[in-house]
Amino acid sequence: MLQYETVFIADSAYTDEEIDELIKGYEQVVASAKGKMIKIEKWGKRRLAYAIRRSEEGVYVLMTIECPPSLVKELDRRYRMNDRILRHLVVRVENEAQLGPSPMMKPRPEREDLLAEPALAP
Amino acid sequence: MEARESGGRGQDRGRKKQYKKKFLFRKKKFCKFCDEKIKFIDYKDLRLLQAFTPERAKIFPRRISGTCSKHQRKLMQAIKRARILALLPFTSD
Repeated sequence: MLQYETVFIADSAYTDEEIDELIKGYEQVVASAKGKMIKIEKWGKRRLAYAIRRSEEGVYVLMTIECPPSLVKELDRRYRMNDRILRHLVVRVENEAQLGPSPMMKPRPEREDLLAEPALAP
Repeated sequence: MEARESGGRGQDRGRKKQYKKKFLFRKKKFCKFCDEKIKFIDYKDLRLLQAFTPERAKIFPRRISGTCSKHQRKLMQAIKRARILALLPFTSD
């Protein structure tokens, strides 16, 4: 059993419920391979740094899993099969820091400043 | 005549020394990651990666940033992963 971290970018047309369903589907795949979900993070809709298949936005989901190496191939295949998934990445967990909440989940102080400023201005 | 010559030479020597001093006291570059004892560079840590991909989104070269080869390699890996996930641009104009 190895630990992997996988991120996929779904089409921004996906609704929250559809995303949950999608995740549930992957959970089942992991469970069927006797793997274990360690963490699921939904980063939500983000602007892409560059357009992928003419999409400027995508819904990001991160999953950290513990599974036999054979599952990676299967997961990769499933990602490819779904043509509403714009991009995916599966990498090994290299550091314990990856098991905790990712930097994406931390509120960005800069953005808070931006939100706070207009309130102070008038 | 003799005194003048020696004076000139003395000045020259002084200037040389000054130049050498200036060069010696240039701020030494250091590896930011070694300094902060960072062992792992996360491809999701956008704020960190953005600091090393200025302006045109190119990877900040080692000779300028002073990052050691070990950490530059890890940084490169992280930046490339972030680019695949469209978290960072490949180029920007």
